Amino acid sequence: MSDFSIIGKPIALVDAANKTTGGGKYTDDLSLPGGLVGKILHSPYPHARIRRIDTARALALNGVVAVVTGKDAPTPYGILPIGHDENALATDKVRYVGDNVACVVAVSEAIAETALGLIDVDYELLPAWFDPEESMKAERDFIHEKRPHNIEKEYHHVFGDPEKALEEADYVAEGRYLANEVTHAAMEPHSTLAAFEMDPQTGKPARLTVWSSTQVPYYLQHKLSLVLDMPMASIRVIKPLVGGGFGGKSEVIPVEIIAAIAARAAKAPVKITYTREEVFWAHRGRPRTIIDLKTGVKNDGRIVAVRARVVQDGGGYCSYGPVTILYSGALLGALYDIPNVGYDGYRVLTNKPACGAMRGHGTVNVRFAFESQLDEIAAKLGLDPAEIRRRNLLKPPCITVNGLRVLSYGLPECIEQVTQRSRWRQRKGKLERGHGLGIACSHYVSGAANSIIRSDMPHSTVNIKVDRDGGVVVYTGAAEIGQGSDTMTAQIAAEVLGCKLSRVKVVAADTDLTPIDLGSYSSRVTLMAGNATLHAAEEVRKQIISAAARVMNCAPDEVVMRDDAVFRRAANVGAGPTGRRDSGRVDGQILRGSLQQKRKEEGPKDWLSFEEAVVAAIDFHGALTGTGSYAPPQDARGGNFKGAGVGPSPAYSYSAQVAEVSVDEETGEVTVHKIWAAHDCGRALNPMAVEGQVIGSVWMGLGQALQEEMVWKDGLIMNPGLLEYRTPSATESPEIEAIIVESVDPEGPFGAKEAGEGSLAATIPAIANAIYDAAGIRLREAPFTPERVLAAVRAQKGQKKLRLAREVDPTEPDAFADHGGALWFKGKGPLRHHADFARGPKVDAGGDD
Amino acid sequence: MSLPAFQLLRPRTLEESVTLLEKHAGKLQVLAGGTDLIPSLRQHLFAPEYVLDIRGIEELRGIRVRDGMGVEIGALTSLSIVEDSEFIRCNYPVLHEAVAGVASPVIRNMATLGGNICLDTRCLWYNQSLTWRKSCGFCIKSPARANVPSAGPEPPDGDICHVAPGGTKCWAAFSGDTPPALLCLNAELEFAGPTGFRRLPLKDFYTGEGDRHIKIGRDEMLVRVRLPETSAGYRGAYRKLRVRGSIDYPLAGVAVALKLRDGEGTVEDARVAITAVNPAPMLVEAAAHALIGRRADEHTATVVGELAAGVARPLTTSALTPEYRREMVRVFAKRAVLAAGA
Repeated sequence: MSDFSIIGKPIALVDAANKTTGGGKYTDDLSLPGGLVGKILHSPYPHARIRRIDTARALALNGVVAVVTGKDAPTPYGILPIGHDENALATDKVRYVGDNVACVVAVSEAIAETALGLIDVDYELLPAWFDPEESMKAERDFIHEKRPHNIEKEYHHVFGDPEKALEEADYVAEGRYLANEVTHAAMEPHSTLAAFEMDPQTGKPARLTVWSSTQVPYYLQHKLSLVLDMPMASIRVIKPLVGGGFGGKSEVIPVEIIAAIAARAAKAPVKITYTREEVFWAHRGRPRTIIDLKTGVKNDGRIVAVRARVVQDGGGYCSYGPVTILYSGALLGALYDIPNVGYDGYRVLTNKPACGAMRGHGTVNVRFAFESQLDEIAAKLGLDPAEIRRRNLLKPPCITVNGLRVLSYGLPECIEQVTQRSRWRQRKGKLERGHGLGIACSHYVSGAANSIIRSDMPHSTVNIKVDRDGGVVVYTGAAEIGQGSDTMTAQIAAEVLGCKLSRVKVVAADTDLTPIDLGSYSSRVTLMAGNATLHAAEEVRKQIISAAARVMNCAPDEVVMRDDAVFRRAANVGAGPTGRRDSGRVDGQILRGSLQQKRKEEGPKDWLSFEEAVVAAIDFHGALTGTGSYAPPQDARGGNFKGAGVGPSPAYSYSAQVAEVSVDEETGEVTVHKIWAAHDCGRALNPMAVEGQVIGSVWMGLGQALQEEMVWKDGLIMNPGLLEYRTPSATESPEIEAIIVESVDPEGPFGAKEAGEGSLAATIPAIANAIYDAAGIRLREAPFTPERVLAAVRAQKGQKKLRLAREVDPTEPDAFADHGGALWFKGKGPLRHHADFARGPKVDAGGDD
Repeated sequence: MSLPAFQLLRPRTLEESVTLLEKHAGKLQVLAGGTDLIPSLRQHLFAPEYVLDIRGIEELRGIRVRDGMGVEIGALTSLSIVEDSEFIRCNYPVLHEAVAGVASPVIRNMATLGGNICLDTRCLWYNQSLTWRKSCGFCIKSPARANVPSAGPEPPDGDICHVAPGGTKCWAAFSGDTPPALLCLNAELEFAGPTGFRRLPLKDFYTGEGDRHIKIGRDEMLVRVRLPETSAGYRGAYRKLRVRGSIDYPLAGVAVALKLRDGEGTVEDARVAITAVNPAPMLVEAAAHALIGRRADEHTATVVGELAAGVARPLTTSALTPEYRREMVRVFAKRAVLAAGA
């Protein structure tokens, strides 16, 4: 089936008009009568025990309604069942500058802020850990008592015999790569509005409704139930429009629970919207990562083994940490055919904001290292970088060495497309000095085959209701976060039902109305919610067809639904305009009773309008609804070893990219001129949306490659704002040629796989490799800021060495470097941690300033 | 964070404005474009009792050419008006280039030339929220020392400079783009105060101290910038170090203005100024000597680069390392000389 009428066409997203005209409502746009404002008090210390919190002075301030602290909701939670280590408000300890201590509810933001200054907190300061490799050596003062040496999780995986294979390899490349920390920088800051409905019998807060900027309404409902000790059924989570998530809203963020606790205490609706600085503290971005990588090859470029030790600086809480570190290992060796893989992954705790999931979760930094090293190997062996990749392709259908099932694999065509369009063969290595081309590949899951909460529940369920008005309403828990999930759902429903797209209304992400869906993360929505929609629509379709077959007096398999009509296969396709005029109906209206009767009396027809068919089906079946769900197949759920649950997916997307850059060897500035990005998304249900996602991914990768970086000084973030945290502006954004490759996966709806994340990971190494081609310098620390590039250029030319790049050689990086300057001087400065030698012997740091 | 509470004063005339300045001296801050003041107020860097919104004073807007006397630019003239002025582009190209490099088009529509000249110095350790500054123990750049009014409940009392520990001087970097260009053009400022108007060469306006960076009376306001006719027709170039192609403040900036001797191609007069690497924008005095009488060629340009880098004192007040920023002063000065001479 490839003759589609709705899918495969570039169409504007169904919610685009409201967003672009300012009519759309995001959480912060919402308000309720009697609503109050919440403001959170954050820890000024990276690691401290809370001895006492006194809220009396704050409560006494005119206009303050309530002050809540950890005592008001002491149950710990976390997105992973194995990582319930967070409290919405600290109960005993704070673990990073910005950790949540208390929340004031007041009639205005200004009053709430003033009240924050009146809360007295007595802290006992503890030694803090900022560097991941230092933190791993800790013998005491662990960030979480349950995690000795501050190691959240470590995994050691061996597939095949990597040691032996490395010994037998013709050439082994080895190196350390560093990727600095980046964050999502979604345009909309986190915001939550929470309101309780009072129980009519007791007058106490009973039902809770939460409007929140989230990617995961169902998980939010679940964690709220846990922390507030309420039945899930008494909690309704509604997701209004979301202004970008990128993973930052794919778990429960403290503000979402704090707002509910605050609303319960204040007995009034409470809204809390984070400042941009608070968004940086909530974070959950991509961790700083150290990758020690070894790749062994034969002289012909065939990879025989890869071995990696990966250390991730996870921050103060577990978050998605174990999943991140597992993805890094699971996807490391699965893009190509690599028979022997060794992986040691360490997720380490530090006194910094918690890292979590971010677009390309787990794969991005390791892919940067691997694709860079592959480029180094190609150079060493005198092979073309595109060719070495071709020589290591998987041969699907297959199961990778770590147990991932691959059915469709558009990578060869992706490589073909980008090399052709960039005129790689003619131009690679032949550009003028300072100009270069680089290639890299990546892949990503189309949803995790195993859910976070181990169970056999369907990952997505969709209900469809069609009524006599001819409207098709799709109820889905999938969270539209700007990626186009509502549009995808509407398109699939319209395609299956053969109706106009405008008939379809999508009701999404409201836990009272929509069936459970795990949410928008791991690029799971198109494949999983798409399949659920497909199944639900097919159920409705079956009912319409059986009724229509009766009306038209034919066999059901003769009935076609298409172009907003239902007709016999033999009949003129689409029924034609003549037939429609004869029906006497106004488009979109139900037939008047008399007309219906007339049509009935005229005997069998060879076509029906969509409404007529719907009316016939409802008359026949009593109601017209359909339900579909999706659970990943058993044979796609991976192996049996510890940690095997992360990595398996029903299908994988593939990407290849070529970047063209120029390097200013006097300033170190890198200009990206163009990126050719080919992405295998199985089938493009909406090519315009796919291109948008590919371009967005490349652009986000460009930011991480060249300029985005969270800069730290002793756990204090130096750039918690969008002025100093520099996402690319339009000025330095290059032309991005998005090329869609369709491998039509057997598991995906109409063959579709993911499109939203997989392209990101290829961008960073493609740029690194292009810089090497342009200037002969190999940058092993991202981002490739001008100072790092210049330091590398200077080192290569043997020119005068300057401390250009924070004392770390970006070509041979060893450890992460902090921002310059000092928090301390001879005991002066903030009371941070008494272990600091600069403070002299034992200083009692009690009291809040 | 929310804005601190203040009383907004909205004069319609300069006289009215000066009266209010005198009446509330020491308790007031002037709002022109607001692109720097408002974010700073939100960060509770200071909390004035009054904010004097001068946007209603029409006479402070506009570019006026005075025959034989050069040009006057009202302090309230938006940067995009200056950028779009054909007269400025033809006669004072270095200013045109510098203005076009400020922030982003949207910000240039709001920001004013006077605001860019008076722009507060910036430091990563200072331009942060109240909570952040509390966490780092505050620093010596404080409103009290700078005579900036503060009615806030919690006047920051840091006594350490985080970029130069042990030092007592504030090194916050002056980060305006237009002042180096204006220095190259021998610009003169005009202030209004209770005793009338006062003029001051721009080069005498800055103190070089990060926390008291400009010499302006508490009852005075900047009303005009004058560019002398003798500076008209100088070739010019401005080069700015920024990580992002738009929005960013300069991490280093170099302005060059050159007058070439007719026919010979040698430099008759020259001025070079740098910004964003010191607490004040600075003329590189020695650069003029290096250029005058010579061709603006690679060799001369390299010498100017060395001289400019020698004056630069970048510290960890900004993104990127000080060493790199000093290097870029060298490279950008060289490039600006070559561009202006070309």
